[in-house]
Amino acid sequence: MADFIKNPVVGLPDRKPEPVIPADQLHFSEAEKTQIQTWISQYPSADGAVMRALWLAQEKFGFLPPEVIQLVADELGIPYTNAYGVATFYTQYFKEKKGTYVLDVCTCFSCQLCGGFDMLHYLEEKLGVHKGETTDDGVFTVQEAECLGACGSAPMLQITNGAYVHNLTKEKIDALVDALREDKMPAFTSVTLPQDEDEMGGNRRTDVESTETYQAGPVSETTR
Amino acid sequence: MPTITIDNQTFEFEGQQGLLQFCLDNGVDLPHFCYHPAMSAPANCRQCLVEVGMPQRDRATGEVNTDDEGNPVIQFMPKLQTSCSMQMSDGMVVKTHRSSELVKRAQKDTLEFLLINHPLDCPICDQAGHCPLQNQAYKHGPEGSRFEFEKVHKPKHIDLGPRVVLDGERCINCTRCVRFTREVSNSDQLTIIERGVKNYPMTPPGVDFDEPYSMNVIDICPVGALTSKEHRFKARIWEMSKTASISTVGAKGSNCYYWVKDNQIMKVTPRTNMDVNEFWLADEERLAYSTFNENRPEGPTVEGAPVSWEMAWKAAADCLKGVEGSRILFLGSAWATVEDNYLLAKMADALGAPAPVYLPHVEKGHGDGWLQTDDRAPNAQGCERLGIHATSPEAIKARLEAGEVDVLYVMEDDPVASGVCSASDMSGIKVVLHHYNTTNQTLEAADVAIPAATAVETVGTFVNVDGHAQRLRPAKAIAGVNRTLSMEIGKCRADRHGTPFDKWYNESNLVNCQPGWVALPAVAAEIGLEMNYKGPKQIMEEVSSSNPAFSGATYSAMGELGVRLESTGVTA
Repeated sequence: MADFIKNPVVGLPDRKPEPVIPADQLHFSEAEKTQIQTWISQYPSADGAVMRALWLAQEKFGFLPPEVIQLVADELGIPYTNAYGVATFYTQYFKEKKGTYVLDVCTCFSCQLCGGFDMLHYLEEKLGVHKGETTDDGVFTVQEAECLGACGSAPMLQITNGAYVHNLTKEKIDALVDALREDKMPAFTSVTLPQDEDEMGGNRRTDVESTETYQAGPVSETTR
Repeated sequence: MPTITIDNQTFEFEGQQGLLQFCLDNGVDLPHFCYHPAMSAPANCRQCLVEVGMPQRDRATGEVNTDDEGNPVIQFMPKLQTSCSMQMSDGMVVKTHRSSELVKRAQKDTLEFLLINHPLDCPICDQAGHCPLQNQAYKHGPEGSRFEFEKVHKPKHIDLGPRVVLDGERCINCTRCVRFTREVSNSDQLTIIERGVKNYPMTPPGVDFDEPYSMNVIDICPVGALTSKEHRFKARIWEMSKTASISTVGAKGSNCYYWVKDNQIMKVTPRTNMDVNEFWLADEERLAYSTFNENRPEGPTVEGAPVSWEMAWKAAADCLKGVEGSRILFLGSAWATVEDNYLLAKMADALGAPAPVYLPHVEKGHGDGWLQTDDRAPNAQGCERLGIHATSPEAIKARLEAGEVDVLYVMEDDPVASGVCSASDMSGIKVVLHHYNTTNQTLEAADVAIPAATAVETVGTFVNVDGHAQRLRPAKAIAGVNRTLSMEIGKCRADRHGTPFDKWYNESNLVNCQPGWVALPAVAAEIGLEMNYKGPKQIMEEVSSSNPAFSGATYSAMGELGVRLESTGVTA
């Protein structure tokens, strides 16, 4: 966002793009179709199921080029235009091809003060890419994200719209990158509150494998 | 009857009604951008905010609480409400900007927000002068902006489709255009893409905004974000006069305004008539005005040589005089007005000729059940009601080939282009032709060619496909007509506000032609027939009183919105 304020230019999407998904792969399996129909039945109209169906398509194809959005719209029986509007609204729907792991580093207020930019720049240097870019081997995409709602464990990052990594440090980033290179996703981690530490065995949630204790955030090296 | 109090004034109302529309209908001018009566109210521009309160009721008894003076205690909603999405209910009390400082402040602040990223390019914007954002910013907005950063740059002059151009920066995201394609035209070609400060309306990849009603979004756009590709930068709004008339493309007779500058039609925009076209106009109706401006004849000709009008009347009369009535073929026209066709039928009757016929201009499959019709001519229904019936080009051709016709009198049509026969095949017969354009293919065969005033230059009546009789008004002047005297011609700002000593109108592009209701009586007079009318108004009075198919269709009754005639069971 900071860059956008300095250079507030909104681009025009490619209006006549070449399809990138081969036609013979551009279809849903029977199981996926059944799933989408189930979702449709849960809403008053098929429009309601558009977000879940787009999500399913993104997990299947990796990202959402126009032909996939068209496929989703056709499957739901809603106008392609509406599905496209929804897909462009949310940054979590990828409109172009990303790396296997998308690292969204939060640089919103709390994380920024606690070193969000330090972590982002460290990651950029480590992987040799700028934010918004994908590494040459196609494994990592580094992105800057707005608030992900985990200010208590700032700074933090999110991996491909999924697991959070809390209380980031440079060492944690090194370990994370090494683990992801071996396709080891970090487990979901719940951050506990100090007052819960004694009472509940340090784990307010019983359904998670991993917990991390709340700690006062560090202070950013650069933002002072 | 339920009542509502708006700014201490009490109104009665019936049924379920939106508050904003009720205010607008009752002369309370609430500023708004996104609301449009034909579409859903998303309440996203936040400009129509008002204070709304209801009488406070005692929880236990359900009785209305009253103050010391016996007046009901009004409990106002804690936040301002958008009047467009507010349904009225009995006892409601509303404070608008006329009585509430809070509302006034809210409107001012909303405008400041809307203007943060809006470019200050009014001097080169086509919407300037009739721009709701500009008007309301002057009326309700702040004096300046406190925003001291660079404004957001969005894509500009993007061709959304073949006829509509987008300027993303000017857009205030009211979503009127998107809702038009979703709810009215059902083409689903537009959506708002991206989010926050980055959003603007767009077609999805691979889709062109090319639906046949696409240009309506230009009118409903409350800013200059959507402009017409062909009208862009051609004329400023205050340079043009506008005349309330009807479209002549197709048989629907959609109500429209003709915008005129220097006696040329510059654009055509819809005029609301809930019985005919509601708020809309098809693209083809907006774009077919070049025939009014281009290839227009310059005065009458006899045998191809220019002559005076008197000579032309005489020459036309000479063609008809001394010919046996049954050997004259009068061709009426679905392009010409009821009045002109009526005079033609009257002339045919006086000369003992059979009743005129007309060539239908039907293109099967063109109609869409909305504003486009199969019939591409505006007045076929009017001809039928006058007893002028459709004929086929083949039937006319057969009569010409059989040598049954000595004189062909063509009223504002083009039999050669309709495929009756080639111009050279008409060499044996006298042809009198009233024509609009020099591209008329029958012109080659015409012995006497009389330039006719088109639908935007004459006064008259068309009957649309549903039997709705509507008036034509002259939008542009023709040679010999004084603009200032012809009260029917629409006015521009200079017309209204200029003094008679200013040179505020000009005489360029005046076409030397005559309307049918001038030409036909002039020819008739040369033949020796009496056809004295003061003008089309009187002709129409005679038609409506003598012909039951036109009963009630007088000029005063038709007014601006027309009269629905009783069905005759005849379809054009």
